Amino acid sequence: MSNIGVDSWVAESAERDERYTGWAGPARRLLDRVPSGWKLLVFLAVAAVYPLLVPQAGVRIGITALLLAMLAIGLNTVVGWAGLLDLGYIAFYGFGAYFYAMVSSDQLSVHWPTWVSIPVVVAASALLGALLSLPSRRLVGDYLAIMTLFFAQVFLEVIVNFERLPGVDIDLTGGPNGIIGVEPWQLFGFSLNTFNRNFYLLLLLLGLLIAVLRNIDESRTGRAWRALREDTLAAAHMTTPVNRLKMLAFAVGAAIAGLTGTILGPVQVGVFPNNFQLLFLITIYAALILGGLGSIPGAVLGAVAVAFTPEILRNPGTAGWLFYVALAVLLVSLLRKRAMVASVFVGLAVFGYALRFTLLAIWDESILGAANDTFLSRLLDSWLLILGPAQDLASNYAFVLAVGGMLGVIVAKGWWRVALLVPTVYLAVFVWENKLALQPSVTRQLLFGGVLVVMMAVRPQGMLGTRRVEIT
Amino acid sequence: MSTTPILEVRGLSKSFGGLSVIKDLDITVGTGEVVSVIGPNGAGKTTLFNLISGIYQPDEGNIMLDGESIMGSGPDQISNLGVARTFQTLRIFLNMTVRENVMAATYGSTKTRMWQSALRTPAARREEDEVRSIAEEKLAFFGDRLMGYRWDQPAYSLSYANRRRLEIARAMATNPRLLMLDEPAAGMNPAETHEITELIGRLREEAGYSILVIEHDMHVVEGISDRVIALDHGVKIAEGSFEDVAEDPLVIEAYLGYGAASTE
Amino acid sequence: MEFLLQQTVNGLTLGSVYALLALGYSMVYGVLKFLNFAHGEVYMFGAFAGYGVLTVLGGPTGLLVPVWLALTLMFVGAMVVSSGVGLALERFAYRPLRSASRLAPLISAIGASFFLQAAALLLFSANSRSYDAPTLIPIANGLTIGPINVWAVRVLVIVTAVVLMVLLTWWVRSSRAGKAVRAVSFDTEAAAMMGVDVDRVIVVTFLIGSALAGVGGVMVGLVFGRIFHFMGFIAGLKAFTAAVVGGIGSIPGAMLGGLLIGFAEAYTTAYISSTFQNLIVFGLLIAFLLIRPSGFLGRPELVKV
Repeated sequence: MSNIGVDSWVAESAERDERYTGWAGPARRLLDRVPSGWKLLVFLAVAAVYPLLVPQAGVRIGITALLLAMLAIGLNTVVGWAGLLDLGYIAFYGFGAYFYAMVSSDQLSVHWPTWVSIPVVVAASALLGALLSLPSRRLVGDYLAIMTLFFAQVFLEVIVNFERLPGVDIDLTGGPNGIIGVEPWQLFGFSLNTFNRNFYLLLLLLGLLIAVLRNIDESRTGRAWRALREDTLAAAHMTTPVNRLKMLAFAVGAAIAGLTGTILGPVQVGVFPNNFQLLFLITIYAALILGGLGSIPGAVLGAVAVAFTPEILRNPGTAGWLFYVALAVLLVSLLRKRAMVASVFVGLAVFGYALRFTLLAIWDESILGAANDTFLSRLLDSWLLILGPAQDLASNYAFVLAVGGMLGVIVAKGWWRVALLVPTVYLAVFVWENKLALQPSVTRQLLFGGVLVVMMAVRPQGMLGTRRVEIT
Repeated sequence: MSTTPILEVRGLSKSFGGLSVIKDLDITVGTGEVVSVIGPNGAGKTTLFNLISGIYQPDEGNIMLDGESIMGSGPDQISNLGVARTFQTLRIFLNMTVRENVMAATYGSTKTRMWQSALRTPAARREEDEVRSIAEEKLAFFGDRLMGYRWDQPAYSLSYANRRRLEIARAMATNPRLLMLDEPAAGMNPAETHEITELIGRLREEAGYSILVIEHDMHVVEGISDRVIALDHGVKIAEGSFEDVAEDPLVIEAYLGYGAASTE
Repeated sequence: MEFLLQQTVNGLTLGSVYALLALGYSMVYGVLKFLNFAHGEVYMFGAFAGYGVLTVLGGPTGLLVPVWLALTLMFVGAMVVSSGVGLALERFAYRPLRSASRLAPLISAIGASFFLQAAALLLFSANSRSYDAPTLIPIANGLTIGPINVWAVRVLVIVTAVVLMVLLTWWVRSSRAGKAVRAVSFDTEAAAMMGVDVDRVIVVTFLIGSALAGVGGVMVGLVFGRIFHFMGFIAGLKAFTAAVVGGIGSIPGAMLGGLLIGFAEAYTTAYISSTFQNLIVFGLLIAFLLIRPSGFLGRPELVKV
């Protein structure tokens, strides 16, 4: 009776939050109760131990992950918090990297001490970000995205063609070959010239950035950014100086990217135009979207996942496990009844053996090739057709058919879906063993592209983001 | 009581691509007054609000707040000068919590810089607590409806009527001198409409705002207005007390068509 | 003078291709208010499809059918493949996101573009292919206009493009389906309320836009020779620039913009340097976005508050 007017259902909604369903539910509830400061420290501690456990190649990958994480949280500030579509973010990274390289190498015979170069580069990057924010006063959404994308392209063109610009005498940027011999940071007499040292530097910077950004997020600036993202016009009417805040978001994001750039040079001992292509921008976006737009832990998690995936893919053994586990998970999530899942497996067995038998009867064993050098591949060798001479051609056709089949599976329902899944899964495995497993870089690109499309349709908030309500 | 009207609009005109939407309009709102603007759809009422709040710039005329011209300013400047509004289409920050919606509106009256927030200085923390209690105080104005556990709910979980109240609470947090409400009773049932009427009265009495209201529901208009202004096709056709305006033949004609005024 | 004329022909040729691509961007933006980032990949697959047809028919040296038939089949094949890719994009990457935020379809488009590039890399490898047009249509065949000799293949490209654009304009103006497209472009909700099947209109728009892109792909193969898996990206950016400059959402605008960009590129390469052709085109876009986002023939957007 006394509950009239009290929306108890809403009040109890925390327990019903859709994030907390499923097998991860209890774990996530526990995780939520731990204050985020502690979570950060635990993460830092675990990461700090990492270089001691892995060879130098592993540390190098760890560095890639940390660089990506910093870029992801920087991008998150612009896109996730302020809601500004910035497809030119990579240019700030490049700007910071090249500027630092120009003042820390023999390219121009300029060698600034670290305590001078870093603040100057970061400040200059922030300024560049502020400059690029000016178009955002008039352009929104897609148009702003295009503009920033083109800006990044212009940046690349200038970097590569600088010496050929009219009236230019000096080779500022090294053209297509980049700048080599970039010196490491020098701090307190230490030269940060090893992977381990740079790893810890990045970890330290990341930790500081996360703490600082979280504070900003929970302050009036963070609120203003969120209001700006929600409804720019309404925010302006509520005393928020929207143009200034857009500029601030761009500047902060650019500064973070510029800072990250100053570490890329020392780690690679050089900076090259190839580091700043669209491909890498997509990678940063993939990390952020996967982890959860708007969420700092999400950005970090996404970055780690994205950075380590190519390594997983490069090793045929682990790549194979990743593929088959993903396939199994996909299968289970696509079919509602256990009977259906079982039918698919049975159907696969029958289909595979039947196909193999038929083809070997028509042509003989000469069409077969050797199994890949992985446990799973050898296991499946007697069922799956791993071809020899016609491998490439057959894989191409199989790939196209498999993609078609997957699209059909999305559209089909019920037992039709089961029926279509059998040949589709077979083809997918076929393409994997016969082609994809052998070409990790193409597979990686397929994976990222596909993940972005699927994420947007299925779980746009990523792994750790929160579901947003949009006014259409 | 100051003699300068809080809002003075003189000779206001605005066209969009050849279509004249507002023509030579004069409007005043005295300090502490509640003025209602009525008129059929397309009369230019929301455009009037948009001109005052700085979304559009007028082609001719002047808009003065407490004697000073606010022409050429954008919405964020005008809101800092003391004009707050709600929107016909309801524009709250859906994915922010109720409390955050209202806290966001205090930006203009706070001064913590980003670096201070980044380092969580004592001054920053103090101001944050202040802002929090201001928000809770504004929300408390609406009684139990937006209190307690509601503060931490995302705004999209609110009912329609509560969302309208939230929008008003948010406008209040900007510390306005003039509050402009665009169809505050739209989409409400009779009970809620009655509450809105009382609410607007309280806004004038307890909070001391001068209020300019666009409304279609004549019960509300009757209950709140010191003065009513009627617009049709961008031109003022009547002004005065509710009774005067309601019986004005031009007004009746505007709403019900030519010849309706003669049927009595 | 002769040089200028030659460059003008180059500009026309390039412009025709960009116009066909830009049409796809413009039409899709018109009905969906959305920029199809993956359109460049649609064009790229068209180019490869044309190449595939050519190979099946025996290749430029061992053609099994008359040249005109081969060309027709190449164009048709490209249109079929490109439409297929375009329709798949619409159905699976964009339609599920119609009611989502502004960011989601954009990300999905970028992801799809990425995926398609990788697929092309997988299927065709990184090696470029050549149409070997000079063997197919000997340079000796050509039109002599005044002081210059125009290669037959360029004439073909320009004429085909003009014919297609005329057909498209006529179709949009006179046919029922064309009217439906215009209606949805103008006001989607109102069109739906008037009984227009918006989903079908969108499908048709993608179909036509993609088919035109496919034709563009074959044309590029014929005129410039090399096709490769990454060609969609830069061409896509430039065609997109053309669409914006001409006025996004406007069909005549896309044609105008395509020509302008084609000329800009041809003259820059000829009179300044090929190094800067991209820079100039990108600079044009940025300038337009800042000064006149609605382009030459587009309608400025009015947003009701």
